[in-house]
Amino acid sequence: MPAERGLTLLVTCLAVISGACSERPTDTEEPPIVPAATPTLVATVSIPPAYGIHDTFVRDGLAFVSAWNTGVMIFDVGNGVQGGSPSSPQLIATYATPGGETHNAWWFWNPNTGEKKYLFVGQEGPGALGATSSGDIHILDVSDLSHPTEVASFHVNGAGTHNFWMDESAQILYAAYYNQGIVALDVSGNLSGSLSNRLVDSLRPGGAGDTYTWGVQLDHGTLYASDMLSGFWQIGLTAGHFSAKRGGDNVPDRYTSDLTVANGFGYTGTWGSNRPGVVGDAVKIWILGASSAPLLVDSIVTAGIGTVSDIKVSPDGKLLMFTAERGPNAGFWFYSLSDPATPAYVARYLVSSGVHTGKFGTIGGRLYAFGAEDPPEPALLILDVTDIDR
Amino acid sequence: MTRASFLGLVAAWAPLAPLGAQHGLTARLSGQGILVGTYADPVAGGQSLGEVRLVQPIIMLDVGLPRLRLTFHATADFEGWTMPHGELAPGDWGEGYVDRRHPHTYVHELMLSAEDVLGHFDGKARTTLSVGKGFVPFGTDDPMSRPVERFPVNHHLSQILERALVMAEVDVGPATIEGAVFNGDEPESPGQSPSLSRVGDSWAARLTLRPLPGLEWQGSRAVVHSPENRAGAGTDARKWSTSVRADRRAGPAHLYALVEWARTSEADGVFVFHSVLAEAAVTAGRHQPYYRFERTERPEDMRTLDPFRSVRPHLDNSILGTSRWSIHTLGYGLRLGAPIGHPDVVPFIEVSYGRIATVDGGLFDPTTFYGRDSFWSASGGLRIAWGMRGHRMGRYGVPTRTMDMPAMTEPDRAR
Repeated sequence: MPAERGLTLLVTCLAVISGACSERPTDTEEPPIVPAATPTLVATVSIPPAYGIHDTFVRDGLAFVSAWNTGVMIFDVGNGVQGGSPSSPQLIATYATPGGETHNAWWFWNPNTGEKKYLFVGQEGPGALGATSSGDIHILDVSDLSHPTEVASFHVNGAGTHNFWMDESAQILYAAYYNQGIVALDVSGNLSGSLSNRLVDSLRPGGAGDTYTWGVQLDHGTLYASDMLSGFWQIGLTAGHFSAKRGGDNVPDRYTSDLTVANGFGYTGTWGSNRPGVVGDAVKIWILGASSAPLLVDSIVTAGIGTVSDIKVSPDGKLLMFTAERGPNAGFWFYSLSDPATPAYVARYLVSSGVHTGKFGTIGGRLYAFGAEDPPEPALLILDVTDIDR
Repeated sequence: MTRASFLGLVAAWAPLAPLGAQHGLTARLSGQGILVGTYADPVAGGQSLGEVRLVQPIIMLDVGLPRLRLTFHATADFEGWTMPHGELAPGDWGEGYVDRRHPHTYVHELMLSAEDVLGHFDGKARTTLSVGKGFVPFGTDDPMSRPVERFPVNHHLSQILERALVMAEVDVGPATIEGAVFNGDEPESPGQSPSLSRVGDSWAARLTLRPLPGLEWQGSRAVVHSPENRAGAGTDARKWSTSVRADRRAGPAHLYALVEWARTSEADGVFVFHSVLAEAAVTAGRHQPYYRFERTERPEDMRTLDPFRSVRPHLDNSILGTSRWSIHTLGYGLRLGAPIGHPDVVPFIEVSYGRIATVDGGLFDPTTFYGRDSFWSASGGLRIAWGMRGHRMGRYGVPTRTMDMPAMTEPDRAR
């Protein structure tokens, strides 16, 4: 396996050096490969249009839906606590977090204590993209899933939070914080009141004025960050503190959106650009080294979309999924990672109003994609993608 | 409304006032339309663009029942048919359109007013109650009833229109105070009705003083809940407006002038947009030169794949930044035909030059988006209007009968 990966690296690097790598358009009218299987929609769950559904966190058969001003909606999608399944989600509870604007969540399983007590909820307040932001982290006690209660919060003056990643064994939450960059928060022990004294470290990868961080992901002890302004970063960690940073200023053509990292490769989406005609229709593919800047090796350009709104790799590392908005080809897109440097188109599931975020969840041995359908009729969409993962 | 009914209305286009004398009923039908060609350089992407549209095609019906002290006012607007993609106008924005002025709804106004409802109980005051769909008592007159054909950038900072409202107005001498509750949501398409379930979630009040004949000051305030998200999940807008308006004879000419300031604060002050506007027109004989300057800030929303449209409804509460548009517009109109009793036929030409700046950062950069930070546009066309005197768009009740529309050049009107 290491030899195989080394060969992949060598070939990829040679391709980069020779200039063979460039944006690879996907002919979306006639997909390059006839799909062997298609995703199957198993459930559509209407979400109150206030404004709707923004994101979903799936774990242990529970789906934590971040439903903006409705708050957090907890569904049994196969856990059994409420008799739900992926094809028949059952609502357990709805909790309106203070201030609304409920954007994302992470259910913290603490391996040190065995607790599954806290749900971290991000609030996305108003801001001027690229410059200002607002919104706090709310911490809910979900010991009793049917009665969530806010017990703590974290606030940064002049900035607002975005996507999370948790180092659960180290009990550190990494939060993308837009113009504040990345924040590391100590979430060990009992959480109560303001967590302002729990700040471990913060970093603006692109520096002040060139930082607007969208997402973070921890992979093999290294943190990766996607920044709308300054691109894709690799950041070293020492006990939760940020050390060397590598990369950045590597996506000049578009604003970067979400990221996902697996198999020694990174995949980043694009949100749009300030130039008419140049939209967020590209997925960038990066090769990652242990201590080197991410190296752009290829990209996928999809016609008929305006934003790659979310991007994820399946738990088995075989399937790449990105969601898309703004255009006739908005919806879910799936690529095989048999060759992680050159993802191969597998299938798509179009949703005309767009899909804001997509997450994988494994339930009962099957793989599902959970998507947030945009207004005017917002809904949680659940696709069975087991067959296209094979 | 179907095209057939529209044609029927056009066929019936005639003054209806004679009905009144015999039946205790007064009625008047009026209307206008402007055929205009506009050229703008640059638009998004740095190119130039020209197009011809029929804009502001409206028909108004005013019915009065003096014995019952009731008045009914309706305006049908056919822009949804004649300009479904909006009117080219760099800087203009609102209701999902960018650099184009949006079409209005087919039912632009539909207001029933009961005048002097308290009789002698309010002394010398006159109290009017109005209900229906129309303009909220906030800010200045609708641009459609002003001399400049090009809508100002501040349309959505200085007017609140096409809402379902319940309104009260009290006139005491030279003062008028108005208050209304209405639905906060703005229209999403020409055929959409106001969300009746939201009536009452927003309010506005306006104080108007007329210290001298032909001179007027107004100050107004409004709190609008979630104007850009029909379901009510958007941020609120807190609005202020004040203006001074002159509309009077000056020797052989007629002078119209307006100076206004407006401020809208959204999302509890996270976004603040300002506007200053001054405009004037002189009508001398058949000639009407006019000029407008405005400096207005607008939000830059995420656009769809069409650079003239923005994503609606918003998927979050963020914007791409704030831009400031400083625009000079110079125009000239020439009235053809007799001044009274016939349609006004007014060929006109307008030229605008503007500069675009950013305010407080954000992703939006006009130099990248438009290719440069300035623009110019030129418009020429023909305005045809019939019987438009007497209704001042945005005012109901007593002022309706006492104010004129300066866009309709009538130098001999009485004050």
